[in-house]
Amino acid sequence: MLAFSNNSLANYLFWVSRKKWLIITFFLSIVLFYLPTPEGLSSEGHRTLIIVIATLILIVSESIPLPAVAILILIMEVTLGVDSPDGVAASFMSDAVFFIMGSLMLAVSIVHQGLDKRLALAIINVTGNKTFNITFGFVTVSALMSSFIGEHTVAAMMLPVVLALIKNAGLDTSKATKLSTLLLFSIAYGCALGSIGTPSGGGRNVIMIGYLSEFGLGDISYLEWMKYTYPMLLIEIPIAVAVLWFTFTPKQKNLDTAIRKLKVNVAKSGKLSGNQLMSILVFILVFLGWVFLSPFIGLGIVALSGVFFYLTFGLIEWPDIARRTNWGVILLFGSAISLGIQMKETGAALYVAENALYSLQYIFKDIEIVRWFFSVVLSAILTNLLSNAATVAVLGPIVLDMGGNPIILGIATSVASAFAYLTIVASPTCMIIHSTGLVSSNDYFKAGWKLFIISIFLLFLVSFFYWPLLS
Amino acid sequence: MKILIAISSKTYSGETLSVGMKVGEAFKAPTTIVDVGEKINQFSMKEVDMVQERMESWDIDRPGVDVLEWAFEYLAEKKLIKTNTIEAGFPKNTLVETGEGRSEVFLEGTFCEDLKLILRNGDIIEELKNEVQNHGYDVTIIGGSGKRGMAHDLIQYINSSIFIVNNYKSNQTYRLLLAVDNSAGTKKAVKYGVRIAQAFDIEVDVITVSKTDEFKDNCKVAADWTSKFLRRSNIKHENISLSGIPSELIAREAGDNHIIVMGSSNRNPLKTFFQGNKPLKVLENSQCPILIVK
Repeated sequence: MLAFSNNSLANYLFWVSRKKWLIITFFLSIVLFYLPTPEGLSSEGHRTLIIVIATLILIVSESIPLPAVAILILIMEVTLGVDSPDGVAASFMSDAVFFIMGSLMLAVSIVHQGLDKRLALAIINVTGNKTFNITFGFVTVSALMSSFIGEHTVAAMMLPVVLALIKNAGLDTSKATKLSTLLLFSIAYGCALGSIGTPSGGGRNVIMIGYLSEFGLGDISYLEWMKYTYPMLLIEIPIAVAVLWFTFTPKQKNLDTAIRKLKVNVAKSGKLSGNQLMSILVFILVFLGWVFLSPFIGLGIVALSGVFFYLTFGLIEWPDIARRTNWGVILLFGSAISLGIQMKETGAALYVAENALYSLQYIFKDIEIVRWFFSVVLSAILTNLLSNAATVAVLGPIVLDMGGNPIILGIATSVASAFAYLTIVASPTCMIIHSTGLVSSNDYFKAGWKLFIISIFLLFLVSFFYWPLLS
Repeated sequence: MKILIAISSKTYSGETLSVGMKVGEAFKAPTTIVDVGEKINQFSMKEVDMVQERMESWDIDRPGVDVLEWAFEYLAEKKLIKTNTIEAGFPKNTLVETGEGRSEVFLEGTFCEDLKLILRNGDIIEELKNEVQNHGYDVTIIGGSGKRGMAHDLIQYINSSIFIVNNYKSNQTYRLLLAVDNSAGTKKAVKYGVRIAQAFDIEVDVITVSKTDEFKDNCKVAADWTSKFLRRSNIKHENISLSGIPSELIAREAGDNHIIVMGSSNRNPLKTFFQGNKPLKVLENSQCPILIVK
């Protein structure tokens, strides 16, 4: 009996040790709830900020599953009286959530076609066998592709190519070398910097477009977004290559044998199949839909139309999509957007914005720089701790309530959330390359801090000297 | 009796695997070798799975398979698996997913029929706890990490005996330091100690430490019973009787040339949570392998 109760007690203690952040969040929320509402903030706004703090702690600590965090946000919004159940439900689903759902399903459908071998051949035919050129090729292709089809899709297709190259170079695929680190980061950073290029590059871009439209601050089309961000993307490609090359200069300056073996391996897979061709055609249609139809039917519906075609033409089965789609992330982003809308409606966003501006004015005298600094630096830091889409969902309403040019601040926030260079958890691409066991957390910092600083400086120049010409 | 050996890489786990398999052979026990890979962030879990599936089409192994392959080669070299299994090579194609991110491959062992290699991903304590709880292991063997929190969690939460292969050197001559007292767990610890001494072919020092002189008699009863048991098992041994703080004296006597075997603490888990317990304190103070018998 004693052994049983000791065992049960040990199990409870284990639960407590693993859920300590959940327990801390619970008590912190109660304390914050009973604190007097700060002056200038409505009681609904006060409660909304409690939910924001609880959400941030739970996402960063990962003490409960992400879908549970998503559900908790909805429960708290209703039970704390922030909005009615119907109001919460209405704010939960939007075109941005449709887009995130559609793009995750599109990623599964595209990766399923096995186009990575075709992609590998196309890249090495252009780059040849010099390691520097291959690195340049990987960064460029990852950046350009991820600007249209999303970073996780590109990373999933590019990673096997890089590992095959490392293996063909006669290196152990379970042992880190400068060559493996260089090539893996060329994918991760290429995907990250590419994701700023178009709205479909990342869910966060669509979330920001959704907020701008929902709050009546402006409508940005697919091509307009590209006009703002694509020049920066193109400038960043050679910068990223240089940073990576000088940080992880490999011994192997030439990968002749590896390239030859890779070509033989790819040749074995035969010609482009009918399904692969069809899959490319469907994606081109989706892309055209984003460019020409999204102002009328929304980016999300276009993405879902692509999924409809993939399923209808039998290019992928539903069980494959159901199994590989991260439904928890979709739920979480839906809830985070709902929370963002509540922040705006309850005045919590305005309260935080005003207080942040007031505090930062002691450091910078120019209000424009204060607004920009707050939006960009906070977004870039949070994205490395949280997730880029969650960062924009929570930070977006605050940034858009700061005054100034909301389009410039909104896009700057979204772009800064792509600077996920510093940590493993910053983005799925960072996690994907880390999952190979070939890059350590120190490696992210070695190259990441340089690219982080350069990217922020470049964004400053673009925001203050190029974007005002477009507005 | 079932044994679980936790390894992490060929660089750091060579001694753990070697000691673990010696123990498995000694007990002729079904043995499982597990590699727990790093925890994948929840935002990226599905994407990482998708990438690993694609890697298979390029004939590239997912992380962790190389560790299992190395373990297979070790077992083959020591002839711990049957010849036909060795000749067939590492059967990575039969590495099957059994749910909850756990994959396993069966091998035919020479000293036991049930020899398994498994891969798991996640928080190491959580994964080992689940493995032990769901598959009923009696001893978990793991390398020393040097982290206090890790040692505390292993001792407190893993529901099996724990053998921490701390600073084991294969070229060192070891003796077994059997710490006994009048607690209920001592008899089981002595039985395990005898099997370990036989497996490693080493002599035993039986140590009793009483906090004060008035408990010396109780300790003597335990030491006498242990001596009798060791004599019957034909194991050479010496008795050491000391007074003072047990955790410090046991660790001091052990030095770096003993394998410590002791019973687990009966202390209330809540007290252990906040204050630790005797085995944990011995582990913290010692520089040698330690088996804590539950």
